[in-house]
Amino acid sequence: MSVRNTRIPDHLRLPFAGVTPAPTEEAGQELFPTGNFRFFRPVYRDKMPPCNNACPTGEQIQKYLDFVKHERFLDGYLTIMEDNPMPAVTGRVCYHPCEGACNRKDHDEPIGIRNVERYLGDYGLALADDPIAPTLPALNGKHVAVVGAGPGGLACAYHLRRLGYRVTILEAQAKPGGMLRGGIPHWHLPEEVLNAEIAKIERLGGIEIRCNTRVGTDVTWEDLGRYDAAFLAVGQDVGRRLQVEGSDLRGVMGGLEFLREAGYGRPVKAGKKVLVIGGGNTASDTARSALRLGADEVTIVSLEARDELLIEPDDLEQADDEGVRFRPGTACVRILGDGGVVTGAVLAQAHLAKDEHGNVKPEVTPDTEFQVECDTVMFAIGQVQNLDWAPDHISERGLLKADDYGRVEGNIFAGGDIVRGPAMAVDALGDGKRAARNIDKVLRAAELTPPDPVEVMPYERLNPVYFKHAPRIEAPMTPPAERVRDQEAEVTLAYSTEQAMAEADRCMSCGVCNGCDNCYIVCPDVSVMRDARENGHYSIRTRYCKGCLVCVQECPTGCLEKVPELDFAEQDDVQRMETAFAPYDGAHAEQSIPIARIHEQAIAEYDGARRRATRDTTTNGEG
Amino acid sequence: MYHEITVWTRGIIMDKEARDVVNCMATAASNAGLYSHYISDYVDDPDRTNCLIRKYARFGDQPIVDHFVYENPRPDWVVLVEETLIKGVNFFRGTPEGQGVLVVNSTRDPEYMLRFLPESMRAKLSKLVVVDAVALAEQVGRSPWMFVRDLGQLAYDRMSTEGASERSEVGIGIAAPLIGALTAATGVLPLEAVEQTVYDKAAFRRGAEQHVVLDYAERRATTVAPT
Repeated sequence: MSVRNTRIPDHLRLPFAGVTPAPTEEAGQELFPTGNFRFFRPVYRDKMPPCNNACPTGEQIQKYLDFVKHERFLDGYLTIMEDNPMPAVTGRVCYHPCEGACNRKDHDEPIGIRNVERYLGDYGLALADDPIAPTLPALNGKHVAVVGAGPGGLACAYHLRRLGYRVTILEAQAKPGGMLRGGIPHWHLPEEVLNAEIAKIERLGGIEIRCNTRVGTDVTWEDLGRYDAAFLAVGQDVGRRLQVEGSDLRGVMGGLEFLREAGYGRPVKAGKKVLVIGGGNTASDTARSALRLGADEVTIVSLEARDELLIEPDDLEQADDEGVRFRPGTACVRILGDGGVVTGAVLAQAHLAKDEHGNVKPEVTPDTEFQVECDTVMFAIGQVQNLDWAPDHISERGLLKADDYGRVEGNIFAGGDIVRGPAMAVDALGDGKRAARNIDKVLRAAELTPPDPVEVMPYERLNPVYFKHAPRIEAPMTPPAERVRDQEAEVTLAYSTEQAMAEADRCMSCGVCNGCDNCYIVCPDVSVMRDARENGHYSIRTRYCKGCLVCVQECPTGCLEKVPELDFAEQDDVQRMETAFAPYDGAHAEQSIPIARIHEQAIAEYDGARRRATRDTTTNGEG
Repeated sequence: MYHEITVWTRGIIMDKEARDVVNCMATAASNAGLYSHYISDYVDDPDRTNCLIRKYARFGDQPIVDHFVYENPRPDWVVLVEETLIKGVNFFRGTPEGQGVLVVNSTRDPEYMLRFLPESMRAKLSKLVVVDAVALAEQVGRSPWMFVRDLGQLAYDRMSTEGASERSEVGIGIAAPLIGALTAATGVLPLEAVEQTVYDKAAFRRGAEQHVVLDYAERRATTVAPT
């Protein structure tokens, strides 16, 4: 029998699997809603990345790195500006607690977050129009005083302005900036960058910086009461002096005072042979500045042993490269002079000993004294502040007393070094932000509440298989020989755009969905839905997901987690089946409507073909 | 007197738990001089891992006439071997109104479990029994999926011929406390008679003593029906 003219009906041409609607189709999932296979449900739950948690200002680092990775620099800049008003400053001077916390350090090397931040900060300063000003609310009529135009005060003013408050900053010095200007040398933070960042804040409108106004002399404590609230961030700018014989000789000075004179652009001089007494970052900055002012030989004399130095490792390495000498484990016993001028110093071996209370105190080894020649001695052994103007009950041992909300009493808040002792600029920026938010709450008569507890994402909960090892991109540097004679030459240079994007691409997005699409791809049951490739736009089709948890296992960032199914009790999140097989009564016997239609159509076509064939045959016969 | 027991469980990985429950109950009823049936699953394609499957037993003091009905059309005792089944299936299909005894293996509170039952199913409920069978059973293996067994035992389990001859002991693991809770909460078969058929008698006793009963029939009687 010939098969010519035999017509195969449509439904028989389909492969077998095609007869039942596939689970990829809506109809297939309704036919067999397998959500009830599930013990655990995959849930998108963003956690706190360790960098964000470590940052005192709470910068959303993961978020802006993701923006930079996708070349969305403006979005990245605006993300930083939500928390930190001066990324070009912190991008240069921050001691980056974020990088210390970065999970990538357990993988290969931490991300160069500070360098990316600096890239975004410079990007923001280069913008023709300020993107922040148009978004600010109108002034609400309340007026807050901020004492001190350092990082803490400026941050507080900025955040208060974002919340609609008018702010007056009272600054004792002739220029705003506080320790950023008076404590950080220009080769770390160029003056024009600091000026630009401060100008950016002033330009927002509603913030007035009143310089040469010292609280205690020009403004009294009572005057502050005329404002609706006040934030005290006076910092600590008086350097401590070691009380040894000869410390009143000419040629002995405070390291901090030296840095401040240089920072405010006043003429300073360092000798040819300089001794810097101290083992912290101020000592390092002082020594390196002295070198740039033409000193032939600069030696850092510290009680701390070489591995105990409190100098940032980066700075220590740079100081070494520049030729700063170190005399660790050494104490300054007395300073020698001739005719009232320093000629040398007597040093001795010493170390830091701990007494029975755990307090550290220096211990000089007897009979180890020796003499060195020098013409300048600078002390960088800590700093204090004069608090005579403040009422006695709010200060204690040279610091202001503030609670966990930064509140001193009533509407008075405080932050920065004057509360916590010498700390990082970014600590002060964070205190300013916290104070601004809490001042806002107090003025709205809202309750002060502690921050919500956060779940910090550990490295162990990431899926490291997805992150190929890539070395950290180090920022370019000015060569030591070039930079060591120039007070203005920046030591660390900026990333190029390509470098910033490549470095941001190393971010593992710990615990936060970054729209990698992996769950969407690996789900064997097409139960992961999304409307945009972005965090918050993925969802699980709960009526069909069988709970195989492949998505959870394969989530690179660890943002997906499994939650027991019975923790959820919404209506219809799982379709209750009538029998083990059928979603509704009688589903076994019935064919689904689309399939039934295919059959009906096939039969109709078959019948039609037969009728035509019969008619043709009849016609032929007649013909 | 006539009771139908349907045990809902998950294919392959929890097959034996359910099988043991119906096996022991039917055997105990038979030993007690009652007529009884025990039926494995012939309709739900029980070879699919994790899918919903059923095991059945029925017993009574009159001869059972429906020899060739391989499902329980009117189950009045229902056991859920795993807690999430409570939101996945209408296990009270065919259950007479107000007569359903539901035994769930769960660590949660019966009041919490009750929220998963729609009104139509609550109408059939008489008792909600929650027993933490996993804690009461002897822990073997570490799998979160297969309550108290490891893969090697699961392989032996697959060699069993659906209860006709069991490779491992009948009434071990979480089945024992589940049987204990079911027997104690229903109170129809004597505990001693059922205990005879269970291998892990200590776990059976623990299940019989340590379970939480929510008497829904009583609550229904005391709550004034809205008019």
